[in-house]
Amino acid sequence: MTTAEQVLLSVTMLRPEEKLLLGALRAEGLTARPLLMEDLAEVVAGRTGGPPALAVIRNLSHRDAVSVSRRLEYAGVTTLNRSSVIEACNDKGLQSLLFARHGIPHPVTRHAFSYDQVRSAVDELGMPAVVKPVSGSWGRGVTKMANAECVEAWAGGRESADATGKLFPVVVQAYVDKPGHDLRVVVVGRTPVVAIQRVSEDWRTNTHLGARVQRVEVTAEIDKLCQQVVDVLGPGFYGVDLVEDRVAGELLVLEVNANPEFAKSSAMHGVDVAGLYAAYVAEQLGVPAAA
Amino acid sequence: MTTAIAAPKCLVCDTEFEVQDDWEKGEITECTACGQEHEVVEKSAAGARLDLAPEVEEDWGE
Repeated sequence: MTTAEQVLLSVTMLRPEEKLLLGALRAEGLTARPLLMEDLAEVVAGRTGGPPALAVIRNLSHRDAVSVSRRLEYAGVTTLNRSSVIEACNDKGLQSLLFARHGIPHPVTRHAFSYDQVRSAVDELGMPAVVKPVSGSWGRGVTKMANAECVEAWAGGRESADATGKLFPVVVQAYVDKPGHDLRVVVVGRTPVVAIQRVSEDWRTNTHLGARVQRVEVTAEIDKLCQQVVDVLGPGFYGVDLVEDRVAGELLVLEVNANPEFAKSSAMHGVDVAGLYAAYVAEQLGVPAAA
Repeated sequence: MTTAIAAPKCLVCDTEFEVQDDWEKGEITECTACGQEHEVVEKSAAGARLDLAPEVEEDWGE
């Protein structure tokens, strides 16, 4: 086995998702092994028998995902996803700017760098509006501003913990009146391989907040939006969140994740996401398809 | 370097873990008795060493 076939799976820890990926990569005939942060020094020093062919970045920690991918790229190792893409996906503000620049349908978004700018943006967009930290996960810190009292409660609480405003910027978005669910589409390469609907009584539809999931078909509209995203970010492995605006009757791209979870939905919906991803990796490396 | 333990115990309830052949360093495994998540921090032919799995941090997640 040459290093040309060696794949590193960079992880914060090996969850069921990463274990599935590891097995799937090996089933494709690749030599795959986990890369923990403590092992990175040896890899970038070239003490592991030559540079690996590719590194799959699956770090739970956003900070580590960007740091590892950048260091590997500087050491000459191709990463999936690329560090610049991970950086954009980990920052809702950067994503929003990219979407606006490339005409991708997205909720109207303002960027706020101070408490006064949050107040102005909410006034401009009208209430309800949604305030989000640019790098939050699993719905944490996402707040719906239903009225002026909410804005002042949010600003007052946050200012007491962060008087100097170190936690800025945040994004302020027009609230999208969705029909009780949103969509998560998993993209491998350029292909949307599975779409699930996340249904919740809560206005936030994160599965971590208890949303139920069911598989839905990938429609032409879903495919078109995913292609627009891939055109901007490049082929890779993404979780694309779409939300339907009940008033306008159109689908919007809410955000894109560079580290989508799939273990539960793969089992429930019979789509072998890990296998498809591993086949994509093998294809990128020019390794013949597994029998 | 700590020596791997042939039959590591749960760090919460002392239940013995059965070391799995396919365990990988960094893998998360649950205690069958109390459900506490542990991380495999060392794995060798002699066994494995476990530590409590890391807590969720602010910048984790998708």
